[in-house]
Amino acid sequence: MTVSQISVFTESKPGHLARILRSFESADVNVRGYAVSDTGEYGIARFVVDAPEKAKEVLKDAGAAFTVTQVLCAKLPDKPGELARIMGVLAACGVNISYSYSLISTYIVLSASDADGAERVLAGEPVELVDQEEIASFRFV
Amino acid sequence: MTDESPTTAYDLAAKGQAAAAAAAGAFDQLPIYLPGVECAERAAIRALQLEKLQRQVRYTYDKVPYYRRRMDEMGVHPDDVRTLDDVRRLPFTDKSALRETFPFGMFAVPMDDVIELHASSGTTGKPIVVGYTRDDMDVWSECIARLVQMAGVLPGDIAQMAFGYGMFTGGFGLHYGLQRLGCAMVPAGSGNTERHINMIEDYGTTVLVATPSYAMRICEVGEQMGYDWASSPLRVGLFGGEPCPPALKAEIEARMHIVCTDNYGLTEVMGPGVSGECLAQRFQQHIAEDHFLWEVVDPETGETLPEGEYGELVLTPLDKQAIPVLRYRTHDLTRVFTEPCACGRTMARMDKVRSRSDDMLIIRGTNVFPSQVEDVLKDVEEVTPHYHIVVETVNGMDSLTVETEIRPEAFSDSFEHMNAIKAKVKAKLDGTLLVGTNVKLVEPGGIERTAGKAKHVDDLRR
Repeated sequence: MTVSQISVFTESKPGHLARILRSFESADVNVRGYAVSDTGEYGIARFVVDAPEKAKEVLKDAGAAFTVTQVLCAKLPDKPGELARIMGVLAACGVNISYSYSLISTYIVLSASDADGAERVLAGEPVELVDQEEIASFRFV
Repeated sequence: MTDESPTTAYDLAAKGQAAAAAAAGAFDQLPIYLPGVECAERAAIRALQLEKLQRQVRYTYDKVPYYRRRMDEMGVHPDDVRTLDDVRRLPFTDKSALRETFPFGMFAVPMDDVIELHASSGTTGKPIVVGYTRDDMDVWSECIARLVQMAGVLPGDIAQMAFGYGMFTGGFGLHYGLQRLGCAMVPAGSGNTERHINMIEDYGTTVLVATPSYAMRICEVGEQMGYDWASSPLRVGLFGGEPCPPALKAEIEARMHIVCTDNYGLTEVMGPGVSGECLAQRFQQHIAEDHFLWEVVDPETGETLPEGEYGELVLTPLDKQAIPVLRYRTHDLTRVFTEPCACGRTMARMDKVRSRSDDMLIIRGTNVFPSQVEDVLKDVEEVTPHYHIVVETVNGMDSLTVETEIRPEAFSDSFEHMNAIKAKVKAKLDGTLLVGTNVKLVEPGGIERTAGKAKHVDDLRR
């Protein structure tokens, strides 16, 4: 069970990220969570959205450099130790996480070098993985 | 030829047949205007050049006070030209000499002997004006006749001129040359695109002379009018007046179903016709060596470079009577090869000019040309060939940064991969330019698209 993550090449200059986000807005794509990393010169903006297909289309039309990867999204109980628990499980099994970010504090995205391995590991744990459908439908109060 | 099967005969007057013959390697079926000259032994060409050079230097020294003074100052006399290499002892001529002596100070003949004047557009200061005697016009027409035959133009073709006539050398140069070959000229001139298409249809035009961008316009307007280029009699496009990017040429060839070539020349040494493209080498042009002595020199030092090396093209017309210039600095960068061509011609081939020495950058003492950057990027599949160069002074040293666009397909969700692309581009650039570069990846479409070469570089030094 994975969700689609859309990674977009960004230049470190004002307005670049805003332009991508405006194109999402124009296509009625809702951003559920994102993370932006940067080298000082260029960066990668990663998005989890409700409608990845629409997002892909609008980025393609804009001529953007982007790629879609499948990542795990885990829903954690909102209490101390939960993040430590999931990371600990993966670490104990030797799964490396290249990056991770949260959608809201209890939904975290994980990119593992061995995604299938990570999913198998987590399936054996009390961890709730969410799918694309839930990404599209979840509501925060 | 190892193929013993009966050779196909190509009807070269039919659309697409010249290109088909070239693709099949049947160059013996393609026309050559003056085979005795264009396919002569190299030694014979060199001997003719020496004979003409000696005569021309003597004539120039005797007739043009400017050159007599310059040569006297340099202590060189026409008798000192004993071999072709002795051309190096002669003074260079720059555009400024023609400007300073405007209008007729460089003329070697009285105006009674001049039958036509042409001028190059002067973007700064005064234009350059040049004159032609009847013999000069004769040589010019012959050079044009050669290059149009390289493209497969035949006597009897109907050639429509879409250049403006006027003082520009392109219009009349091609006009006379095509007539010399035996073509019927349709002197339509530039503009009124729909009329051009009507004329092609009504008169059965087979050859179009145009700038590549105007040819594209004619193509598009024709398509909008519902004109079927595939069944049009038009067969050949002769381009000039502006550089022709290979991609544009290929698109015009495909959409208009024609073969297109372009030629090289400059007003100061004659006009179009110094060199022309044959169908065997689409990125090179044969120099009319019996009329022009070429040299390739280091643009900085003026020293002659070995054959095949990139440098500035220097031309000495060997027959010009009205304005006999010596060693004209074209500021155009190219390289020249003298091996025989598959088309059968032995006349040297120059790479099509893509940059000028004015574009040259000196980075920490090393000459760098923007076209080299373009060549490197063309071969890296992860980036587009669009680039922007920024030169700055960093800690007292020249710093060169090349910005290049990542291709959408090459992007991945990994900094490691992106850095590897950057490192690959840098390694290739450093190896070609022989200076250390910085590479900056930018988004697709992030580099401004411009036609002018100057726009590629921001030199922020000083």
